[in-house]
Amino acid sequence: MNRKKDKGFESPRPYKLTHQVVCINNINFQRKSVIGYVELTIFPTVVNLNRIKLNSKQCRIYRVRVNDLEAPFIYNDPTLEVCHHESKQRNLNYFSSAYTAAVSAVDPDAGNGELSIKVPSELWKQGDEMKVLKVYIEFSLDQPKGGLHFVVPDVEGSMAERAAHVFSFGNQNSTRFWFPCVDSYSELCTWKLEFTVDASMVAVSCGDLVETVYTHDMRKKTYHYMLPIPTAAPNISLAVGPFEILVDPYMHEVTHFCLPQLLPLLKHTMSFLHEIFEFYEEILTCRYPYSCFKTVFVDESYVQLSSYASMSIFSTNLLHSGMIIDQTPLSRRFLAQALAQQFFGCFISRMSWADEWVLKGISGYIYGLYLKKTFGVNEYRHWIREELDRIVEYELKMGGVLLHPTFSGGKEKDNPTPHLHFSIKHPHTLSWEYYKMFQCKAHLVMRLIENRISMEFMLQVFNKLLSLASTASSQKYQSHMWSQMLVSTSGFLKSISNVSGKDIGPLIKQWVDQSGVVKFFGSFAFNRKRNVLELEIRQDYTSSGTQKYVGPIKVTVQELDGSFNHTLQIEENSLKHDIPCHSKSRRNKKKKIPLMNGEEVDMDLSAMDADSPLLWIRIDPDMSILRKVEFEQADFMWQYQLRYERDVVAQEESILALEKFPTPDSRRALTDILEQDQCFYKVRMQGCFCLAKIANSMASTWMGPPAMKSLFTRMFCCKSCPNIVKTNNFINFQSYFLQKTMPVAMALLRDVQNLCPKDVLNFILDLIKYNDNRKNKFSDNYYRAELIDALTNSLTPAISINNEVRTVDNLNADVRLILEEITRFLNMEKLLPSYRNTITVSCLRAIRMLQRNGHIPSDPSLFKSYAQYGHFVDVRIAALEAVVDYTRVERCSDELQWLLDLVQNDPVHYIRHKILSMLAKNPPFTKAAESSLCNEALVDQLWKLMNSGTSHDWRLRCDAVNLYYALFGLTRPSCLPLPELGLVLNLKEKKAVLNPTIKPEPGSGGPEVTANMTFTSTLEEEQHVVIEPALSGVAMAPQGLKRKAETPLGSSPEPGQIMQEEPIVKLSVKGRFPGTQEEEDIDMDTVHDSQAFIYHHLNMLERPSTPGKEPSSVEQAILSMPGTPMPLLSKESLSSKHGDHHHHHHHHHHEHKKKKKKHKHKHKHKHKHESKDRDSHAFSNSPASGRSIRSPSMSD
Amino acid sequence: MAESAVMGSGSLNAGNRSGSSKTSTSPLENYQLARRRTLQVVVSSLLTECGFDSAEKAAVETLTEMMQSYITEVGRSAKANCEHTARSTPTLSDVVITLVEMGFNVDTLPLYAKRSQRMVITAPPVTNAPVVPKALMAGQKRTHPAHIPSHFPEFPDPHTYIKTPTFREPVSDYQIVREKAASQRRDVERALTRFMAKTGETQCLFKDDTSTFPLIAAHPNSIPYLSALLPSELELQMLEETDSSEQDDQTDTENNPSNIMQDDSGGDKENAVLPPGGGVPAGKVNEENMIDNPYLRPVKKPKVRRKK
Repeated sequence: MNRKKDKGFESPRPYKLTHQVVCINNINFQRKSVIGYVELTIFPTVVNLNRIKLNSKQCRIYRVRVNDLEAPFIYNDPTLEVCHHESKQRNLNYFSSAYTAAVSAVDPDAGNGELSIKVPSELWKQGDEMKVLKVYIEFSLDQPKGGLHFVVPDVEGSMAERAAHVFSFGNQNSTRFWFPCVDSYSELCTWKLEFTVDASMVAVSCGDLVETVYTHDMRKKTYHYMLPIPTAAPNISLAVGPFEILVDPYMHEVTHFCLPQLLPLLKHTMSFLHEIFEFYEEILTCRYPYSCFKTVFVDESYVQLSSYASMSIFSTNLLHSGMIIDQTPLSRRFLAQALAQQFFGCFISRMSWADEWVLKGISGYIYGLYLKKTFGVNEYRHWIREELDRIVEYELKMGGVLLHPTFSGGKEKDNPTPHLHFSIKHPHTLSWEYYKMFQCKAHLVMRLIENRISMEFMLQVFNKLLSLASTASSQKYQSHMWSQMLVSTSGFLKSISNVSGKDIGPLIKQWVDQSGVVKFFGSFAFNRKRNVLELEIRQDYTSSGTQKYVGPIKVTVQELDGSFNHTLQIEENSLKHDIPCHSKSRRNKKKKIPLMNGEEVDMDLSAMDADSPLLWIRIDPDMSILRKVEFEQADFMWQYQLRYERDVVAQEESILALEKFPTPDSRRALTDILEQDQCFYKVRMQGCFCLAKIANSMASTWMGPPAMKSLFTRMFCCKSCPNIVKTNNFINFQSYFLQKTMPVAMALLRDVQNLCPKDVLNFILDLIKYNDNRKNKFSDNYYRAELIDALTNSLTPAISINNEVRTVDNLNADVRLILEEITRFLNMEKLLPSYRNTITVSCLRAIRMLQRNGHIPSDPSLFKSYAQYGHFVDVRIAALEAVVDYTRVERCSDELQWLLDLVQNDPVHYIRHKILSMLAKNPPFTKAAESSLCNEALVDQLWKLMNSGTSHDWRLRCDAVNLYYALFGLTRPSCLPLPELGLVLNLKEKKAVLNPTIKPEPGSGGPEVTANMTFTSTLEEEQHVVIEPALSGVAMAPQGLKRKAETPLGSSPEPGQIMQEEPIVKLSVKGRFPGTQEEEDIDMDTVHDSQAFIYHHLNMLERPSTPGKEPSSVEQAILSMPGTPMPLLSKESLSSKHGDHHHHHHHHHHEHKKKKKKHKHKHKHKHKHESKDRDSHAFSNSPASGRSIRSPSMSD
Repeated sequence: MAESAVMGSGSLNAGNRSGSSKTSTSPLENYQLARRRTLQVVVSSLLTECGFDSAEKAAVETLTEMMQSYITEVGRSAKANCEHTARSTPTLSDVVITLVEMGFNVDTLPLYAKRSQRMVITAPPVTNAPVVPKALMAGQKRTHPAHIPSHFPEFPDPHTYIKTPTFREPVSDYQIVREKAASQRRDVERALTRFMAKTGETQCLFKDDTSTFPLIAAHPNSIPYLSALLPSELELQMLEETDSSEQDDQTDTENNPSNIMQDDSGGDKENAVLPPGGGVPAGKVNEENMIDNPYLRPVKKPKVRRKK
């Protein structure tokens, strides 16, 4: 937050971390548990450092020692349960702000953390001398739900034989999920990592493998890693499994790892990695910063690739053999991205979240350069256009994407993106899709900067950043150089201005500090008298996601005499621009026409307007503005542009435009492009679909065979028998892609009855029938899959009479043929599975289409069986997509429930994420429409899901938020009944009154409303009532008031967390004084903390059984268990007739209790601690499992 | 000789029983009939010599048959004797031995031959030896190659050893070939999948009808990525066919890491001494062995003092 300062980096923490040891000495695959310890070496930067805040989630912490002295600690994570169950609030506004506040409360970039350790007072003296402190934390993880993922296939044999493996994962800084650390990208330190694993396993982690040593029993071995380059904790990772090892034949310091049996694939996939290395090192004129690099391919990966210091973890599904065409470029792209992130993202980290765009931008930009070099300029420009279209589409739909958000005061009022239903203040509150778009925009903006300052300067800037960082990395901590390894927006901009001497301020202001894209509308008229082109460019800067653009814009005009670039100034009020034309002559007599690239071509000029010398006009041809251009020009101009403009972007634009001109001329132009093998294949592929659309618009006047049929025949069928396709030979990739695409596009053709022409269907069936891959050196699985897709595309809705039940007998004859093929394909796939099961995927989609069009009975059971865990992930996604679609169409609550159950229980994180995002994309109902699905139970279920059910996975929680938004919008779901008049507890006056403030739609209210402490009763919510007679509300009063201002926070502890009970008392009285030196108590920084902490005790969420230390008997008595409604109602209870209970009682009660029992606790726990330390794993859940047990472990 | 005798006996029935059909007989038959007639004349003249005036036809036939058998046996036996001594043409002595074996007193033969009342019969009518039937003439009859002495048996008839094209003209019409291949494959696939569906669990698209479009039930796999990523055996086989060299290369390098893993530090030195091999794969192996990659280093034994 304080990054605006130019003078280096100021840590939000009162200490500096210099070195961290992570030692995991036991990984149990059977139990999916991990035991280990960490040791952080820190330098206090303040006198009297008495408290250290660290990040830790999910870990069960056994003991904390500071310089060998036992230290008390508090564990408090408000993100576990964002809003508390007392709340009747069900609107997203409320949730989002509460969630943001919760994340802030533990944000390491603000110096916060879940774990608060009290430095023993003996050491305070040392603090004066700024001596090193060593913080030693023993922890374990049991069945982690986030951070580490165990894959343990259910087969016979040892773990190694079963290919069991475990790896770390997470969205952004998520290392806290698997070991306590300062989980910030800006806190760098050196690392020593030790992992003891089974002798048959390999542990791959960051840094250099120093040695591998057997344990004494020779059954395990310990991998010792050293990472001397200062690295942030989020960039630390681990992968353990029975990996096969491949040393890169070109670069011996690079090692690749894959799961057993996949080595041949690994070899092939990695065979070109050295080229990427060479490329980056060359353009950056900088060696790869780490001394080694490791790639690990794992199953059930969280994302396709994740980069960490000196290693990357990939999905195993990127591996492919040499027979596979389609996957090859994709996998190479992922590898190139991963490597780019090694330089920018891992080696160079960021100062704050607001600087993320620089890293993503640079890594995305150099990755783009790699694309350009490897796949060619056409591919690169095509990709840029695609990315531009994506971001434009997203911003216009969802509102702007802001690269560099600044938060002046952290107040909600200053929210820079009010149009979003989530906060962009933290990476963990972002919707996944937004983040993807953010990355996309970041690299596009980098490209804009390149356009401005030239690539040479750009690369110099990168080089400068890297060389500064590498100088810094070799320094000792004491030199205070490490912050050079952190990039900040201002530092980056300064670098640019130093290197290039150019002022890119306006550009940054426009695209980085502001959100939105530009929307241009262009049209023109040719003034013959003046020989001037009158161009009008209008802008829409009022709709959401747009912004106004002022500045230069390039316009390219292709005239008869050549192509001319003009730079116009877009100004506030000028819409019209006069551009003088160069071509004097009305028509050149038989002269060749020079193009932009110097080429001269013959054109048939008969189509053009005799009076005008203009062939075509392009606005912003270089895509140097993030914009959408809707330009009007005559159809023949688009046709000329398609045929003769050599830029693929121009060609694609004209193809898009030609859809609106279904004429024989357009048809001819497109057909010519399709046939021209010099034309970029992706343009030709796009042309296919455009041609299909044009043909459909022209259905009544269409002459000759169906579009593309004769073309396909000519290109791909035998000369002697034109109805039979040649045996496959995919050696020419361009024609391979065209061959794949054409049938798919053809199947979209419709005749005047809006049916797919019989000719076309038969043609596709013949293609399937005569497909022969025996002589092909490549696999045809993608081709066959696309043929099935073509069949799917040919489907049209069935004509149903009286909603008759679909049976085999009344099946349409064509459909019968299609079904026959699909059945055969799907069955063959069981015997001879195709690569990535592409054929099954296509078949499932086809079957769903058949169902949706009413040809066969709609039934989700088939899809549900394919969606089971144990099928290949692509197949599962396809099946789930079908179920999602079924849910929407049939409005089936069972299926929705089934999906939501899967979201909570599926072992694969990616699947959970996909289900939610597919549901959000294709929601079973929306806010606008009435639906029987929309009911209170669902609202509560979803609320619970995002409130507490997804606390282990930031991404999933945001997905749940997205879904909630898609279903209910920002305000209170309409299906909820009017809240009953709630009780308002006036704590000061100790009486409850009926709350008059609750309104059915407190949309605007958000947290403010709730701050009134309104509690209404809900039947659905489980009530856990703890009442003790000695309630006193007085102590609590200030607390409640404070809560009004801040957002209520709180959390339920995760399984395995240990809570500290003590501190509340002081806190509630004294409020927050970070530096207070209370003798015995650990005070907390913010009200958030304290409130959250209090709410722990009130948390009644159902949770899986939680192993932990035995709670004190007192606690057990206090805490009631979920699912066991045992309301210990006291006479003072204010519980309503529904049996729920007011929360403040808990507060009071606890406060009270603790005050009294404090000393007692201490002793008790100390003993326990010592005796059970060693075997704490066995401390199983209290009989009252279902809620986590917190055991104070203060032992000083 | 033997053949002709058999032939003769074979044609006996036919020839004599149906004299009327003579006209339609083949040249071979004519030849044999002529021989037989000569024999009959001989028998008849011997009978006359012995003083018979007339004889029943059946008796003459029987005697003729006996005579023929006798001569045949002499011939066969003589040939056997001759071959026994590794010759191909019988000599006089072969015949003599044969006759002796058959219990004939050879000494009486010259006297008998010179008897006075001997009748001289005219030579049998000149009938050309039957030409070998054309049907059997397949290809050129091979003569002995130079290294085989000419006395060895001749090659059998060519038809017994040359390749005889028996199939019809191959269907060279591309369309039909493709058509056939396609429908064949489709039939096989259909039959196979139907069989699998019949014998195993199925899923169906229509609740009421499970047989028209039977889908083999989807079973989760504990390691799903293996079957999805690794090329199927069929594909591998095809790959081998289309490009065997590449495949070899792959299997070649595949073994390297495991080799390296097994031989530890000792192997390094050995290989370092070796000059870089000429072949690419050999060079690669060398290189890899010299790699100092921490993951390839042997695992160290625990030190005693190392304590956690």
